[in-house]
Amino acid sequence: MITASDRGTQFAEALHGAQGEIAWFDSWDDIWDFAASLSDDTPVVSPAAHQFLQRGDLPDADDPLRSIADRPVGVTVAALGIAETGSLLLIERAPIDRAVSLLTRHLVIAVGQDDLLDELADGFRWLAQQPRAAAYATFVTGPSRTADIERSLTIGVQGPSRLTAAVLT
Amino acid sequence: MIADFRERYERAVNDPDLQPRLLAFQRSWRESRDAQVSRLEQRTERSFDDLRHDFAAVKDGTLERIDDYIAEFRANAEAAGAIVVELTTADEAVEYIAGVCAARGIDLVVKSKSMVSEEIELNHELAQGGITAIETDLGEWLLQLAEQRPSHLVMPAIHQKRQYVAEILGQELGRDFDPDDIPAMVASARQGLRRHYLAAGAGLTGANALVAETGSIMVVTNEGNMRLATSLPDVHFVTAGIEKLIPTWSDAERQLQLLPRSATAQTLSTYTTCITGAQPGKEMHIILLDNGRRSMRDDDTIASALRCIRCGACANVCPSYQVVGGHTFGHIYTGAIGLVNTTFHHGIEDAAGPQGLCVSCGACETVCPVAIPLPNQILSIRRRATESGHVPHWERWLLRAWATPTLFRTAIKLGAVASSIARATNLLRRDHFRLPLPTRLRWRSIPAIPSRSGSQLIRSRQPQPAVAASPATGSEIDLFTQCLAEHLLPSAVDSAARLIEAGGATVHLPPEQHCCGLPAFDAGDWDAARRMARATIDALGRSDRRIVTPATSCVISMKEHWPQLFRDDPQSRRRANDVAERVYDLADWLDGPGRLPDGCLNTSDQHAWAAHRFCQSSNRDDPGARIDLLVERLTGETPLPLKEAEVCCGFGGLTSIAAPEVGKGILDRKLDCVAASGCETLITNNPGCALHLRAGAAAQGASHETLHYADFLAARLPWSS
Ligand code: SF4
Repeated sequence: MITASDRGTQFAEALHGAQGEIAWFDSWDDIWDFAASLSDDTPVVSPAAHQFLQRGDLPDADDPLRSIADRPVGVTVAALGIAETGSLLLIERAPIDRAVSLLTRHLVIAVGQDDLLDELADGFRWLAQQPRAAAYATFVTGPSRTADIERSLTIGVQGPSRLTAAVLT
Repeated sequence: MIADFRERYERAVNDPDLQPRLLAFQRSWRESRDAQVSRLEQRTERSFDDLRHDFAAVKDGTLERIDDYIAEFRANAEAAGAIVVELTTADEAVEYIAGVCAARGIDLVVKSKSMVSEEIELNHELAQGGITAIETDLGEWLLQLAEQRPSHLVMPAIHQKRQYVAEILGQELGRDFDPDDIPAMVASARQGLRRHYLAAGAGLTGANALVAETGSIMVVTNEGNMRLATSLPDVHFVTAGIEKLIPTWSDAERQLQLLPRSATAQTLSTYTTCITGAQPGKEMHIILLDNGRRSMRDDDTIASALRCIRCGACANVCPSYQVVGGHTFGHIYTGAIGLVNTTFHHGIEDAAGPQGLCVSCGACETVCPVAIPLPNQILSIRRRATESGHVPHWERWLLRAWATPTLFRTAIKLGAVASSIARATNLLRRDHFRLPLPTRLRWRSIPAIPSRSGSQLIRSRQPQPAVAASPATGSEIDLFTQCLAEHLLPSAVDSAARLIEAGGATVHLPPEQHCCGLPAFDAGDWDAARRMARATIDALGRSDRRIVTPATSCVISMKEHWPQLFRDDPQSRRRANDVAERVYDLADWLDGPGRLPDGCLNTSDQHAWAAHRFCQSSNRDDPGARIDLLVERLTGETPLPLKEAEVCCGFGGLTSIAAPEVGKGILDRKLDCVAASGCETLITNNPGCALHLRAGAAAQGASHETLHYADFLAARLPWSS
């Protein structure tokens, strides 16, 4: 039987392997404080994260991507995490849901400790039962990267260059 | 337009940076991919082979009922608001996309990586109609700026040097880049591409999978560009081949176990995106393209190539790809799979050029995550290329001459006369001619033809007494001497006979043996191959004794190629099987029916030796490939470790003649490993490879000697002088 804490450890290891970071928090307030401490700029938050945090800048509804492009810190929420791969599943139906995870520099993704599943297969089982979620769902595994120039791994290309999983215990 | 094959070949072999870069890539990929695969095996408690065959079965099952799955996919995707169109040809696909763009007034399309869009040469075609397509994957963008094509399925710009990248980025963005500052060049893509995303009317992506049960597409990327291209513009085009269909999400997950690990050696790519239907207020057009795929499916030999998930692994282990790169080894699709599917997407003419570059080592099949029998498919395409006249004349003539024993023997006799003159006049060095060869051939020497053939050596001596009892004691054995070994490596033939005799068996030499047909089969000339095979079957069919040969490749040929050659001729097939069933590779013999006891050739010496395992049998996992284990068991001498012991030596039948630079490139890689091993003697188990390795070592002046392992073992027989 895999316990919740084993799963957390496995998740952390896998995420580190994908150049992501992890931090543990007791409350949404702590997550906000953490995000706010990362830069002088106010964090931008996705509509989903805003429901919990009740603060931070929201993307502009008319032009969501342009409005927050390249802002230093963004916060969003994952539906679940996968211990096997260190992935976080983002359900982002509309561009406004996606803006923060697409274009901020340091992305903080909150996930409930109880929402960590063992394997990617569990994640896909979940997805198969949520037709609405599958409208636009992304397993994000670490910050964006490329090795297209002479195979040299470079972190941070067109998406975030840092990614922190904020696990809510 | 893609340049002519010969031109691409010349360009590749004259690029001094290409080989070292691809070698470093292949080696580091191999290491990380193997680590990933072994972790996967541990985690799932299943072997890679089981996992890949499971998923291959999913793909095969889907392809068998492709129209049902297309219908299911269509119904679900349309219910989710997507428009699904099935198109037959590349032109139709281009027209459709151009038509939608025209109707919407779109003149700029941002693209995430899509091999199908390369396949249909979409960018070029759209440009004709005034629509600009901008690649947003960094590698693809760099290629677009340089007006080049991908040279790898996953690492499209693997052939570009960073100095070159700095130059083209500088031109595009109007500022200087330091070639050593790769992060700065990468960062420039973020800004350089942003304006295109913002201005584009449509985004175009491929799909790694089309999930029928929900009508969804799944795309894996690392940079984040695909999500941008599908978020900013109002229209989303998906271009995908019909073979991308899979039934369920659980199948998608199985695909993901194999794809990123095989492609970039990642557990999972950074973004695995699943999209179902059009997003609110936007359009989604899913183009399901045939373009030759149904003909592939209806072709028994080729159908399984449709399992391909475009991971690029087959290029990453291909020794020829390492020498010439993907612009030469392939057409638009590169690597082993490109040698197969080009025929169906672009025609035999475009597929024919690189066929001769494949050395048939079989490495690609060992790593393919969907277990496609690529080597056999390449041989089949090669036959089609030959039959449709796409093969150089000299090759045809050479094979015809080879297939005619009288001509072959006359040539050998002339060679032997020339060799003895050269020997008498001191024109030989290390048994190779000191001839001024043209530069491109100077990496190897031409071997002198020994004065006596293998059969003559055997007949000129008394049978040798047994060293030990073996299961074959008292039995009678036919020796298949093999055309090359018989005349160019006769000592190996004699040594093989001695080793059989050492187990107490009697050796017979069936008359009129020549060639099993392998060189012609490999070259795609099945008529010539059949003639040679028939003659060999006649020669070996006169007795019912077991047959042993020192030529590993010929055993594979008899057991695997003969049934294909005589597929439509039951009588010949029966006779061929009767012979093939009795044939043993010498190493298998000495470990099996003619097993010599452990340590029976122990001379208490310890030589510095290493073993190059014949790649083809290694890659098929034939036990007989492990000659180092056999030699160690019999002699008690431990081999020196040889890096890449199972990677091809570059002989590859006609490849080293038709494409000498490829033969040299692969040989250099091998000889570097041999030198690094510190061995004094290199042993190997296939006569062609032994000759190739020896000729290369002679030309380089390398200090080690190269032996067929039979010679190494026979030298340790108590009565050998
Ligand atoms: S043929 Fe196999 S190894 Fe090659 S790209 Fe396709 S799936 Fe990968």
